[in-house]
Amino acid sequence: MKSGRVFEIREFTLHDGPGVRTTVFFKGCPLRCAWCHNPEGQSFEIETIHVKTSVGSRVSRDRIVGQDWTADALATELLRNADIMAQSGGGVTFSGGEPLAQAEFLLELMPLLKEKEVHLAIETGGHVPHETYRRVVSRMDFVYQDLKLLDAAAFKRWTGGDLDIVLENVSWLRGSGVPFVFRVPCIPGVNDDAASRAAFDAFADGARIEYLPYNAAAGAKYPMLGRIFPMATLG
Amino acid sequence: MTERIKSLLERTFDKEQRKFRRDVDWKPLLERFIADGIDDEARARIGLVEMLKAETPAFMDGERLAFLRTVRGIPDLHSDAEMDARRAAGTAFGEKGVVFNLTADFGPTIRDGLDARLAEISTRIEQAKAANDAEGVGFLENAALSTRAVLDLSDRYRAAAEERGLSEIAATLAQVPHKGARSFHEALQALRILHYAMWCEGEYHCGLGRIDQYLLPYFEADIAAGRLTEETALEELEEFFIACNRDSDLYIGVQQGDNGQSVMLGGVTRDGRPAFNALSRLCLKACGELKLVDPKINLRVDRSTPLEVYKLGTELTAKGLGFPQYANDDVVIPALQRWGYELEDARDYSVAACWEFLVPGCGMDINNIDAVSFVGSLDAALRTMVGRSPRDRRGGQGAGRPTIVYEDVEAKFLAEIQRRADALVEKYRHVEILPGPFVSVISMDCIANARDICKGAKYNNFGIHGTGIAVAVDSLASVRELVFERKLVSLDELVHLLDTDFEGRPDILAAAKAAPKMGNADTRVDEIARRVIAFWGHVFDGRKNGRGGVFRPGTGSAMYYIWHAREVPASADGRLRGEPLSANWAPALDVPVKGPVSVVRSFTEPDLGPVCNGGPLTIEIHDSAFAMPDGVEKVAHLVKFFIERGGHQLQINTINRETLLDAQAHPERHRHLIVRVWGWSGYFIELDKEYQDQIIKRVELK
Repeated sequence: MKSGRVFEIREFTLHDGPGVRTTVFFKGCPLRCAWCHNPEGQSFEIETIHVKTSVGSRVSRDRIVGQDWTADALATELLRNADIMAQSGGGVTFSGGEPLAQAEFLLELMPLLKEKEVHLAIETGGHVPHETYRRVVSRMDFVYQDLKLLDAAAFKRWTGGDLDIVLENVSWLRGSGVPFVFRVPCIPGVNDDAASRAAFDAFADGARIEYLPYNAAAGAKYPMLGRIFPMATLG
Repeated sequence: MTERIKSLLERTFDKEQRKFRRDVDWKPLLERFIADGIDDEARARIGLVEMLKAETPAFMDGERLAFLRTVRGIPDLHSDAEMDARRAAGTAFGEKGVVFNLTADFGPTIRDGLDARLAEISTRIEQAKAANDAEGVGFLENAALSTRAVLDLSDRYRAAAEERGLSEIAATLAQVPHKGARSFHEALQALRILHYAMWCEGEYHCGLGRIDQYLLPYFEADIAAGRLTEETALEELEEFFIACNRDSDLYIGVQQGDNGQSVMLGGVTRDGRPAFNALSRLCLKACGELKLVDPKINLRVDRSTPLEVYKLGTELTAKGLGFPQYANDDVVIPALQRWGYELEDARDYSVAACWEFLVPGCGMDINNIDAVSFVGSLDAALRTMVGRSPRDRRGGQGAGRPTIVYEDVEAKFLAEIQRRADALVEKYRHVEILPGPFVSVISMDCIANARDICKGAKYNNFGIHGTGIAVAVDSLASVRELVFERKLVSLDELVHLLDTDFEGRPDILAAAKAAPKMGNADTRVDEIARRVIAFWGHVFDGRKNGRGGVFRPGTGSAMYYIWHAREVPASADGRLRGEPLSANWAPALDVPVKGPVSVVRSFTEPDLGPVCNGGPLTIEIHDSAFAMPDGVEKVAHLVKFFIERGGHQLQINTINRETLLDAQAHPERHRHLIVRVWGWSGYFIELDKEYQDQIIKRVELK
């Protein structure tokens, strides 16, 4: 049995699909987006977040991020809310990090949730081998497919990834029949100009596309991990 | 919203109504009462008569519903020394002693008019005289004089309106409150006057009750006759709701906004039919447009309530009003029946002021007469177990004693709860309420019985709050884990650490904070809550109060959550000295919870029927939840989930911590910011800092 490494299970997430949902944030990502607001989701290793506490506070708020779950245990945890998920037409959303980086685990977990008719959604950068992408995504009820940059060189520079891998998966997704929406994080100075917007719209080619505003607090967690926010130096 | 309403709203917010106010020196009146030895009933009558005489008819431009407070303070009817002497002589009072936390039986008097009440009084006086019932005659005479005083002011208003060419107001006042209302407009005007008069008589926390039921006949008749459309009805309602915000700063309360002007919508009729109607809908709409703190909206729902109704309620929540507060008929009605309320009355329940369930018109319950501190009880229990008092800081000796187990601690805690509950039963053996002749006239059966409502109504029960339940239960879970399972400290050491605020033992403090907490759907702690609530629900079984009623335990805290926090040092859950308790039935502050679904799950795990005095689960939701188009539906599902799991009462606060902090720093920018405090909503910037800080703490780390 595979184990999955998760850095957060968040209940009642409101932006991750229909109905009342729980979102599972998988730890580890093949990309290193300079603007990433979940840096604790990048490394596949278990880490400690150092939280500064107010002066005089005697309680450390440091916490360990990353917990290993068996598929059975995680399914049990998620299915505790199966009642309200069923009531509201909600379900579970896999996010991260990159959930598809733990595809074998997902493939074990998904049938356990589907058995209880839980609606499944995934939020992915799509930067995984096509076979992996297809095997998991074809079983999803809904896909949030991130689009970050459409130029291979810029994609490489800002995320460290290979755009072709994403494009191959997106091309398959379009014809797969799995309902999806493109999600574009709008990053000032990177992809938020009019030309980029036009290019994204053209790329979507009629498919649904959402533009997400940049979170000004995105860099907040880097110092807690002893890291420097890349946007601060790369920009 | 029409331009007229918009203008009234803005001017009310700008406090234009205050320019009509003046002060009256009531001291000579009180001195006369004392010097002449005037009795309570006569004082109440004279106080109201003098107060209303001192009032001057005043109108705000553009209003169609009249009546405005122009005298700031009402007369004191008793001196502190007099009240202290009575207390010393063994009489207990609820709060200030007068009738409070009560909703009158407005419907029948709106329908019949006060002239009809006067006629009943005259008939009844003759009977009382014939029966040599001097007490009855006295009450009825005072009741008649009080009623005439209300009518006199109304007549002066009518004359003043005529004089100023306000012919519509004059025409309305020619009908009500003398005679029965013939239209929705007249009904609202009558209600405004009756409610206004209660405050002038000295009653406080005067609820409005089920306005969507008792005003429905007028609304329906006017709509059917074409006299009213949905738009004009909305305008009428909005004007009435604005009026509820004019004098409210003069009303008695612990904080601004704590004035008990509650409205209850929906539920079932007295014969059990679904009662949510077009008027209920319109009330929600009016509140949503006005975004005012008054009246405070409560919404009765049950298992069969469609999602659409929850969505209407949630749209108000999304506006940040802190209401509606939901009450679950499936739980509350049977609970009231178990306490002796007849089924029809139980179906007619409303809330007294904040959330204590009350049957309007026939309940003279004192719903918040006192509270049992759960944190205080646990603290005391732990100390008796190690043989130390709070003042004794010496190290404890555990050697040679029989081994204790966790169950002993829990048993000791429950025994302490019982001891405190029994002490309250003793304390309130002899409770008196000061008379309210006018409120008696507009309450059920008082004229027929020829007795003031203060002598007792159909229901005379006492409500007892339970404060800090989550903190106490979390502390028990922590004691079990730290002392008995992991054996990190002895009980003696732990109690010592509570006294020293965990000084020098950050490891124990961290372990205490990491122990299971309510709000995470964690059975290790929720099963303790289940036992504690089951015990609390029956702690008063078999006990009667001195007014013939029972005691109703609840999960509310009212303001006791601030007071009781000061009485204990640190607690075993890791709460440090001076840190506040959570209000009502809610997770302890600072506790990381998985999310609102788990909070609902934990807090609906116990059987809440036996603790139905009132006291809602309070959930804070970040305002960004409503940025998404389906946010309302998701939150509506959460409410429905709570109700279906057998929750009794729920309030949801839409809140943004940054906004609250900014409002503390720059109150002038946030004068419209509304928050739910304990059982009521108020303007954040008008609260004392202690209350503001508690609210900010509620939303930290969630």
